[in-house]
Amino acid sequence: MADPAVHLTIDGRATTVPAGTTVFDAARTLGIPIPTLCHQSNMEPVGVCRECVVEIEGARVLAASCVRPAEEGMVVSTNSERVRRTRRMLIELLLSDHPRPCARHREFGDCELEVLAEREGITTPRFPGSPGPRRIDDSLPAIRVDHSACILCDRCIRACTDVKSNFVIGRMGKGYPTHIGFDNDLDMGASSCVSCGECMVSCPTGALTNTAAPATELTTGMKFGLDELLHIPIFRGVSSQFLEKNQGGVVKRNFRKGEILCREGEFGSTAFYILKGEVEVFLTAPLAHVKKAGGALGFMSKLTSLLAGGREDPRPDASRRPIPIDGPVDLPLDHPVAVLGEGELFGEMTCLNFYPRSATVRATGDGVVLEMLRNVLQILQKNREFKAQLERNYKQRALASHLRASPAFAGLGDDALDELKERAELIRFEPGGVICRQGEVADKFYLIRIGFVKVTQTHPGGEMVLAYLSRGQFFGEIGLLAGGVRTATCTALDHVEVVCIGVEDFNRMLERFPEVRRSLEQTARERVSANRQHLDAVRTVPLDDFLDQGLMEAQSLLLLDLEKCTRCDDCVRACASAHDGVTRLVRDGLRFDKYLVATSCRQCKDPLCMVGCPVGSIRRKESLEIIIEDWCIGCGLCADQCPYGNINMHPFRVMEQDPGGVASRKAVLRTKATACDLCTDHAEPSCVAACPHDAAHRVNPREFFARELVQISPAHGGAR
Amino acid sequence: MLIDRDHRRWAYATLLATVAGAATYAVYVRSALDGPRGGSGPGLAFGVAGSALMIYAGLLSARKKAPTWRIGRAQAWMKGHLWLGLLSLPLILFHAGLSFGHGALTRVLMWLFLIVILSGLLGVVLQQFLPRVMLQLVPMETIYEQIPHVIAQLRVEADQLIAAACGPFHGQLEPAVQLGRERRMQPSRKRQPFVSAGLLEGAEPLKEFYLVQVRPYLFDAGRGSALGDPIKRAPLFEQVRPLIPPALHEALGDLETICEERRQLSLQARLHLLLHGWLAVHLPLSFALLLLGGVHAVMALRYRY
Repeated sequence: MADPAVHLTIDGRATTVPAGTTVFDAARTLGIPIPTLCHQSNMEPVGVCRECVVEIEGARVLAASCVRPAEEGMVVSTNSERVRRTRRMLIELLLSDHPRPCARHREFGDCELEVLAEREGITTPRFPGSPGPRRIDDSLPAIRVDHSACILCDRCIRACTDVKSNFVIGRMGKGYPTHIGFDNDLDMGASSCVSCGECMVSCPTGALTNTAAPATELTTGMKFGLDELLHIPIFRGVSSQFLEKNQGGVVKRNFRKGEILCREGEFGSTAFYILKGEVEVFLTAPLAHVKKAGGALGFMSKLTSLLAGGREDPRPDASRRPIPIDGPVDLPLDHPVAVLGEGELFGEMTCLNFYPRSATVRATGDGVVLEMLRNVLQILQKNREFKAQLERNYKQRALASHLRASPAFAGLGDDALDELKERAELIRFEPGGVICRQGEVADKFYLIRIGFVKVTQTHPGGEMVLAYLSRGQFFGEIGLLAGGVRTATCTALDHVEVVCIGVEDFNRMLERFPEVRRSLEQTARERVSANRQHLDAVRTVPLDDFLDQGLMEAQSLLLLDLEKCTRCDDCVRACASAHDGVTRLVRDGLRFDKYLVATSCRQCKDPLCMVGCPVGSIRRKESLEIIIEDWCIGCGLCADQCPYGNINMHPFRVMEQDPGGVASRKAVLRTKATACDLCTDHAEPSCVAACPHDAAHRVNPREFFARELVQISPAHGGAR
Repeated sequence: MLIDRDHRRWAYATLLATVAGAATYAVYVRSALDGPRGGSGPGLAFGVAGSALMIYAGLLSARKKAPTWRIGRAQAWMKGHLWLGLLSLPLILFHAGLSFGHGALTRVLMWLFLIVILSGLLGVVLQQFLPRVMLQLVPMETIYEQIPHVIAQLRVEADQLIAAACGPFHGQLEPAVQLGRERRMQPSRKRQPFVSAGLLEGAEPLKEFYLVQVRPYLFDAGRGSALGDPIKRAPLFEQVRPLIPPALHEALGDLETICEERRQLSLQARLHLLLHGWLAVHLPLSFALLLLGGVHAVMALRYRY
């Protein structure tokens, strides 16, 4: 169970922080700045520069605050005479072996070490420097390495290893000749460096500098001069060195009223920041049709369903769930339109992960946007001011709708939401980054702001994927509710940003709102039960062929017994008849013994199709069936990602507003994804009910084959 | 429909009903002074019961037109169609006094009825074993309607395979048909076209074999071709193998697979026709039977009584 809280005093001010919080972070929550060189908020602290030393009452030596956990009753001084003297000496020692000014400071005046030295009034250190300059490595066209300017803070190493997982940079040598090295101390250009630039933007000094503009540059829009860029508030605090070298990565675009900035379904690589004016975000893809036709046809369909004992499509939470888009807001399902104004950013997912645009954006008046490439956006996201602004926008506009979209939080009061908005923190993870690990102490509740998260569980037989979660979904509640230990590992599949709610706030919320606790406990029970079922499945049928065909991954298979099937296609016709004339199954596919595994959604346990949907319209129901919601924009990503070709893109004829204005509405063809929905509005899938030969069966593969495989005759030769 | 254990109850019920009908008929025949007649009370009862079962059997087609209506599972309808349709035969025979009737209409009706029943039984028999035959003999089965498309795709794939291995055809494909549609087709993903590093010397025998024997077969897989017989096909390919460089053996193997796929598709088309061909007799005659049966009922009731 996580320790609830720690009380301490910093510079005479009392504060309470969750157990495990460092003194550095605790001071930050009080607004007390502690200088540092080796620590960055997106990295694990290592405490090598010691610049962040603080004095702790009763302690013999000064402690590096970035690695020292806060303890109960601790009294900390961050600015005592002893601390100031020590910091000053450390700066002098580092500066003695650092070119003055280094390339970065000479050009832009923002070498962090030299800025600190200037602040301390140190012009010439008291200590002698190294006998001669160290090596300069300019073997890579984009990045120059000046080993003389390196202070061995390890920020580049952690950036390369922990942030980007490239594992190229490390420390080489011992004692004084210690330096950073690439692979086995090769020149950077000869190493396996991928030139991502993460080390360069992490470097506090001029040791790693940019020597060339990036190859990618925006060709449309007006380019900025460096001074002009630095005057834009969101670029305040961004390395001017970086900005100078990446001026082509951000452009200004003036737009006029009615101009379309981007269209849903298009692929792109830029994000937009609104400097002036307002834009309207909306979906042009009309709702309905994927589920069932509306209008007169829908009425007839419902009538016949009623006559035939059919049920309404049971999607309980669909109507209240907002459509998640790639922006600071979600779109309401009944009227999917929102307005974004000055200071808001949209297109992050497209820019970072190259997903299709999730919505169409049209200017509602004249205005100006900044359009930027990924390298610029990533730098901005590291900028504290910009990050705070993003966080503020998200909390104001989307956090409440995300939380309330879940039945578990439906009863949350406005005051509780306001409190959560204040306390919640946004944390960013790079692709592959582990958000929480199975077995760790659970100390946070997470809500996904952007990106996709994979939930896995490790068992003696290997790792099993439990779910993919996307924007607006939450995780981490099981560990917090049941014993305080994580039961699964959650990993960022792409660039992910999550809202974290600390254990204390979470518990306070549950105390105040018992109905939220009950709902969350119910959700947790359902998830645990589903996970157990998955685990049981893994333990049953061990056949190689069964696994090769991915049948183990399926939750529901449409099997046709080819000894009984007369190839009459009644199943296909029934499927088409049940779905407005569009069949969702093809009577073809892989064979397993005498069974044809028809090309129809398998409701995979590891639904790869769900990863990347820009509007979250493909999702799992609580019963783990995969459904495509009516707001699908037809980008086709899910169809491309389905390994079994079971999602089809189909053109639907719909009525749309005529932009030409000749007629108020006109019929157009819009493509949408379709997949088997198991005929959720009927007691039994139509294909199965319509098979006159008892050949079509929707089965749970593990149960069915566990029973059937025993009977399979060796003469059949097993799997085909 | 495969007749298996699930049909036992239906079979017993049909048998029981037939026996009961026969017993009733025997009693009726013994008591009827002027012999059994369709117009008598018991005769009419047999006729009405038999006709009702025929109408029920005929409703299967209507049921299939509304597959989403949950008015009983399709397989229950099919079992009813089969067994109750069969039961209608003795009932109608009892109605007709075990004769073919006396008028032209009744004779036509009885013949139609017999043909419908026999064609239906033929269908049942074919459905007992043809799906299994297809399962075993046509592992590369595809959707029946897609067969022409898949065959065309195979031809494109074979052309590309040989062109990559032996060089362009330079008009050698004439007079074989070169359809514009086929030119646009892409080879299927499951078999990547063989690409040689350069045009190999000694590839001519493969090209000639393809143009003279394989390609015509891919266009028209008539039963006469040796390539359509797996036993005769293997030696043909083995004869070519020593004549070409080893680097082309893979292409030759791919070509053999294409021929096998073509053979299976032809076989599937034949089996499919056999499996569904009886419906061409059964369905129209059933409709005609129901129609004429209605005429017979109206005439019999209106003009004889």
